[in-house]
Amino acid sequence: MKVKIGIFLCDCGGSLKNIDFPEISRSVQEIEDIAFVDISHNLCLEEGRKAIASRILGKNVNRVVIAACSPASCEHNFIRLLEGLNFNPNLLSIANIREQCSWAHEGNVTGKALDLVGMAINKARLLQPVERKEIPVNKEVLVVGGGFCGMKSALELSQLGIRTTVVEREPILGGRLSELEGFYGFEISPKEMLSSMGEEVKKDANIEMLTSAEITRVEGDAGNFSVRIKRGVKEDSRDFGALIFATGCKAEILPRYFELSPGSKIISQRELVEILQAPAKLERRPEVIGFILDIADENSRLPSLLALNAALAVKNKLGSEVYVFCKNLKVDSEGVEKLYQEARNRGVVFVKFEEKPRISERNGRVKVEAEDILFGEEVSVYCDFLVAEEKGLPSEGTEALASILNTGVDSQGFCQDENVYLYPVGSGRKGVFFVGACRGNLDAARASLDVGSAVMNVYELLALGKAVVEVEKVKVDPQKCRACLTCIRVCPHRAIRLVKVDDEKWTAKIYDLACDGCGICAAICPAKAINFEGYADEQILAEVEAMEWQYGRE
Amino acid sequence: MELANSGLEVYLVEKEAAIGGQAASFCCKATDVCTKCSFCLVPQKLNDVATHPRISVLTNSVVTRVTGKVGNFRVEIWQKPQYVSQEKCIACGICAEVCPTKPKAIHSPSPEAIPYSYIIDQSQCLHLKGEKCNFCEEICPTKAIALGRRPESWELDVGTIIVATGFEVFNAREVGSLGYGRYPNVLTGLDLERIFAHKGSLELPSNGKEAKKVAFVQCVGSRNENHGYCSQVCCKYAMRFARLIKYQNPDAEVTIFYIDLQTAGKGFAQFYEECRESIRFIRGVPVEILEGSSDGLKLRFEDISEGKVERETFDLVVLSIGMVPRKDSWDLARVLGINLGDYGFFGTRSLIDSNKTNVDGVFLAGTCQGPKDIPDSIAHGISAAEKARELLKG
Repeated sequence: MKVKIGIFLCDCGGSLKNIDFPEISRSVQEIEDIAFVDISHNLCLEEGRKAIASRILGKNVNRVVIAACSPASCEHNFIRLLEGLNFNPNLLSIANIREQCSWAHEGNVTGKALDLVGMAINKARLLQPVERKEIPVNKEVLVVGGGFCGMKSALELSQLGIRTTVVEREPILGGRLSELEGFYGFEISPKEMLSSMGEEVKKDANIEMLTSAEITRVEGDAGNFSVRIKRGVKEDSRDFGALIFATGCKAEILPRYFELSPGSKIISQRELVEILQAPAKLERRPEVIGFILDIADENSRLPSLLALNAALAVKNKLGSEVYVFCKNLKVDSEGVEKLYQEARNRGVVFVKFEEKPRISERNGRVKVEAEDILFGEEVSVYCDFLVAEEKGLPSEGTEALASILNTGVDSQGFCQDENVYLYPVGSGRKGVFFVGACRGNLDAARASLDVGSAVMNVYELLALGKAVVEVEKVKVDPQKCRACLTCIRVCPHRAIRLVKVDDEKWTAKIYDLACDGCGICAAICPAKAINFEGYADEQILAEVEAMEWQYGRE
Repeated sequence: MELANSGLEVYLVEKEAAIGGQAASFCCKATDVCTKCSFCLVPQKLNDVATHPRISVLTNSVVTRVTGKVGNFRVEIWQKPQYVSQEKCIACGICAEVCPTKPKAIHSPSPEAIPYSYIIDQSQCLHLKGEKCNFCEEICPTKAIALGRRPESWELDVGTIIVATGFEVFNAREVGSLGYGRYPNVLTGLDLERIFAHKGSLELPSNGKEAKKVAFVQCVGSRNENHGYCSQVCCKYAMRFARLIKYQNPDAEVTIFYIDLQTAGKGFAQFYEECRESIRFIRGVPVEILEGSSDGLKLRFEDISEGKVERETFDLVVLSIGMVPRKDSWDLARVLGINLGDYGFFGTRSLIDSNKTNVDGVFLAGTCQGPKDIPDSIAHGISAAEKARELLKG
């Protein structure tokens, strides 16, 4: 079909005085394929939109160029307008003659405006329509991990009417949080809370539980994943629309920092909890208990939180003297400063050091020697028990899981979120979410917000049972594709896979719903087999040509 | 935003003329690399909100009364007169050209304002002062200006209410000994945000010269008796600013005075280690700032690590002020019937359900519930949206 371009110039209420609009209109009219050039005063308002609609329908154009303000302010309005007219919005090309031209320079800028309009016209000529299509999505969700975050995710999804399957590798639900003795902010003990959550999960008709189960394979894309779940010797394949991973963490005392031996008085959190639960088993009441932090890891809030909670528990149950050795107490979570104040009021002594303290064991006691910077003096404390700092680490199998998902792990070995700061809980793969400790978010209050975010994202993706995609905006030409896998390696969204064309030939295929339209694959393809509509080589070259045309003429 | 995406109608009620709140006036803190301050998220989100078909934005508006209960709230809203219609204004600037007053009574909003429409300054406008001038009204090409407009009241029927009223910064004048407001070269973190946002670099407010010796004072208005909490953002913004100042002027000496450095967060401890190479960290917060010779500021502080009281002169002191609850929180709490919690932030049911209030159907989002950084506030907001969605499912 022959290209017929309609052009709308907008002088923004007559305010773009350094552009000669009649001059632009005259020059542009000489160009081939132009159906009309209109000058209007405010395309963005109702009257402007009506004018656009009647001209497009009346003149039967098949490309539209709008020269007006920045696409950031009005493009969405024009796109909506064109959609309403059954005019494919991809056939619209915008020249920004306000922010990038009139406002940016002093004096007459008609020449530059003409360049910008010319570029937009040349690009418009080559634009192809991109269809939008609804594709069905599966409304079932898989939650991996039956701890606090996993159960909370399943319960909240159920509230929204979404069915979930919870896969837990252990024979019972609960996870690591249930091992804690007490936790600030919970009215009931973590153990009771988690077991009542477990009961709720069991009763919920929207939740299916698979304990002693693991996932072994994930295929497909957002909206339509196929997951293999192994339970005992049996392995089944199941379909889900989205996957939430809440696989938690483990806490370990690193031998690099603390020497642990049987009978040692340097103990773990867990051993402390055992002591607190059954103090009668001890030969005598411990007089001094120490905690030590900031040796292994300064990135984590967890050790500070655990130590403060445990220190108060020790005060309550044993009444021992408590010393906390730390560098910088991490108080940047809700309520922690208050906890710190309370601990100090109860007589917990905080010893702040810069240099790593020396720790030695003698006569069944642990001696900690530290340079206390508040006193400016060397302090030696003999502790009956020293509770060692535990480093939060990714739980067993996180790396294997990341490789099943093809999403990678971060420098600490936790699941790699898409962007820690910008899009938490999302992963590199659309429809796959990481919540709580498995992405390194180790405190319960923040982890519970992760759950809310992930559940909301899942709901947006799946609630309607369908999703709208732009069909083949980025497309591989199977004739040119050499199946070199370069695009598959670089795609940050795992949206490309190899598919078979016939017995001999394979080609890369891009999955529309998983694709984010970043264009990396199109840029890197050595065979130039990938076309990114709107940013194709010839379209960009045509824009450059328009500038040459201008300069050539002058 | 999330609620509208999930198919609900959303009314956004904002007290100021533009949406965005405190975060909109921040600046990007990148040196040669991004330092991940998250500021860039804000304008993007604002634009998405302003252009979303299912979000109605009511600016210059306050909630005056709420009746009904979860599922059926009736919200009464009072809106200041909209002399310039935000739907019609195309920000062409012709009105300002004809305005006869000096400074102009009608002017462009700040560059980051959304909606981006012109603002009338009531104290300057001749018409609003009772004279006959209506030049702007006559010349406006889109008929956006109507100087005769009156305040309007709205009644909205809504299913749930999300409170996201944010924070105020601590008023550094309350700590008189630090001299904020008295000495031009004592700034707050927020002042610094705005200076960088508008000028892109730092000059001494007193004489426009480069700052050679800069001190950051942490925990001003946090972690004390009246504010028994950590504001969570100050250590991070101070370190990022310190890096930015160092990057723009490698000869500058930058010192950060602190109590406990909050280095938690993915990769932040590593950032801290990098900072230590070029920035001096001193444990101990200055008690007093005095004016020294030739524009210098004399800081008296106890260097705890050395166990000595010291005096040192700096060109510029930045007070890392914390977050405090908004003063009008109390009014809104009364209108909505929700409780105030510790220190005047809105109260929640429990730490792990920090979106829920004592009133069913009223949820909290962001720093109105307690201090948070930008990513945590976003997570909190999305989580609040999810709670609201649960309630209104179907």
